[in-house]
Amino acid sequence: MSGFFENLALGCQVAFSAANLLYCFVGVFIGTLIGVLPGIGPVGTISMLLPVTFGINPTSAIIMLAGIYYGAQYGGSTSSILVNIPGEVTSVITCLDGYQMARQGRAGPALGMAAFGSFIAGTIGTIILMFVAQPLSAIGVKFGPPEYFSLIILALTLLSYLAHGSAVKAIIMAILGIGLSQIGIDVVTGRVRFTFGIIDLEDGLGLAPVFMGLFGVGEVLVNLEESLNIEVFKAKIKGLLPNLRDWKESIGAIIRGTFLGFFLGVLPGGGAIISTFVSYALEKKLSKRPEKFGTGVIEGVAGPESANNAASSGAFIPLFVLGLPSNAITALFLGALIIHGVHPGPFLINKHPEIFWGTIMSMYIGNVLLLVLNLPLIGLWVKVLKIPYKILFPFLLLLCIIGSYSINTSKFDVLIMLIFGIIGYLFKKFNYEPAPLVMAFVLGPILENSLRQSLLISGGSMLIFLTKPISAACLIIALLILISPILLRKIRRMRAKIG
Amino acid sequence: MKKRVRLDGLVWLILGIGLCIGSVRLKLGDFRTPGPGFMPFLSGVLLGIFGLILSFPTTFARLEEGEEAKNEEPSVAWNWKKLVNPFLALLILFLYILLLEPLGFIFTTFICMLFLFKLSEPKKWLIPLILSVSTSILSYLVFSVWLRCQFPRGLIKFW
Repeated sequence: MSGFFENLALGCQVAFSAANLLYCFVGVFIGTLIGVLPGIGPVGTISMLLPVTFGINPTSAIIMLAGIYYGAQYGGSTSSILVNIPGEVTSVITCLDGYQMARQGRAGPALGMAAFGSFIAGTIGTIILMFVAQPLSAIGVKFGPPEYFSLIILALTLLSYLAHGSAVKAIIMAILGIGLSQIGIDVVTGRVRFTFGIIDLEDGLGLAPVFMGLFGVGEVLVNLEESLNIEVFKAKIKGLLPNLRDWKESIGAIIRGTFLGFFLGVLPGGGAIISTFVSYALEKKLSKRPEKFGTGVIEGVAGPESANNAASSGAFIPLFVLGLPSNAITALFLGALIIHGVHPGPFLINKHPEIFWGTIMSMYIGNVLLLVLNLPLIGLWVKVLKIPYKILFPFLLLLCIIGSYSINTSKFDVLIMLIFGIIGYLFKKFNYEPAPLVMAFVLGPILENSLRQSLLISGGSMLIFLTKPISAACLIIALLILISPILLRKIRRMRAKIG
Repeated sequence: MKKRVRLDGLVWLILGIGLCIGSVRLKLGDFRTPGPGFMPFLSGVLLGIFGLILSFPTTFARLEEGEEAKNEEPSVAWNWKKLVNPFLALLILFLYILLLEPLGFIFTTFICMLFLFKLSEPKKWLIPLILSVSTSILSYLVFSVWLRCQFPRGLIKFW
């Protein structure tokens, strides 16, 4: 246990250094900003700022990027409540009751409860992360190439299954992501793959240009089709502090949302988004007045807003324990660590305790900062909401260009970014979700290496994936997930026949 | 439901076949020593299979998550008028790449930002002008002076 306190002290030392306090503040500030603004999300922002972090040390980089991530979860509720437009996808459900509360003159308590719920969830989530990650990484050490291979297959399957809309489309996105990750020099044989003679492609497609294109430029292009005229809620916001009754009605929802969010956040895919929906459904089911949901019930705001924050803590578990991302944002964190020469994996916590414990401690600080940013300073964000999109979008595009150019001082990266911007735009138009693609794009090299190593170990036998228990379990679960829609329909049909 | 072919599925099918052909050229290796084309070949095969499933939704309907999933999906509406703004924005961005080196960062940023701001305010000049001048100077100060990103200087050599 003494090691624990030593680590804690180390974390404090790192997180409370002047520079890291500043990075933490910048992170949560930017996070709230882009959370409030609809049309730009944390994925786009973090990929734009990735090049900026090249110059600073990896701990500070992760502290700042993590701040953007959980900060966005706070900010997202503001626009949901005040304008009925979710600032983030994880705040979609907050619109239902949050906006109704605002219309009834209760915007204050709605915003206040969203912030308090986020704070409680963020803090509890960080505590769980702190206690769970290290013991889990001891298990992670036992993972060899076959386990990694099967786990990634399971993750990608789960991701496709949890995606909105067509699962087949999501699977196609994931496979495409793997394919794209193989462009460039093959590290094992040194052969150049799929570069079509373009020398700039030999190092492979850059993470940041691909992400920025898909999530930054693509998003802007879609929004440019519509003229965005947002009507901001005019009434004055007063009484941000929820009263005792509000607390009584919300506290259960906050606690349930926290645990739900954390554990769903660990799962690959849209854990955060799903947790908000599950939390809302759960509160409606448990409520004594389910018919009132949708008319401005405070627990309908508190539950989901807590869930999405806790989910952002849970998402760090696979990253710190196994070095595998669970969503597009942690995929970017993985990329950032690798760029800094830090190899994420089960040894990360022991080898680089300053990164893990520093980030954990900074999350406590960040949550306190966010509470201050989102309660007393709420007026600032209301003003931000009034910035029209026509002023905003040129800035976003410029940031994408500067961001992609400054990685290698190369025009080629900008070109790649623009091409992926067009691809991202088309994906949106044809209802393809880019999230499985980028996850697979990041996981692709790990997947390929683990497959090759496994086959080397087994001397060419695919059975190695089935003889190792963890690996076999992962593959069987993946298979069950894949065939579950067909099975479910069979069962339903049989029931219909009997009934 | 009449039989139809989905073009996006065919795109993936063709891409999958292309990936397979490319992988074979790279050498597949065998299971004992997988070559550089091994993994791309696998992804190519899978991409082709799922592309095929997507191309013929009626034939493979059983594999999809039930009919309701498909009915919900809105068909892609191509409203040509709406495409003008995204297209122009893209054009401006490609122009940015072309002009960046000959004209330098500040000038290129100014010109492109001016046109981007003009997209939404086609009649006014003053506001886009003010915005684009301030943006280009501010972004230069932030990214080049403060964060020390390297940008081409282009026309103006003295800074």
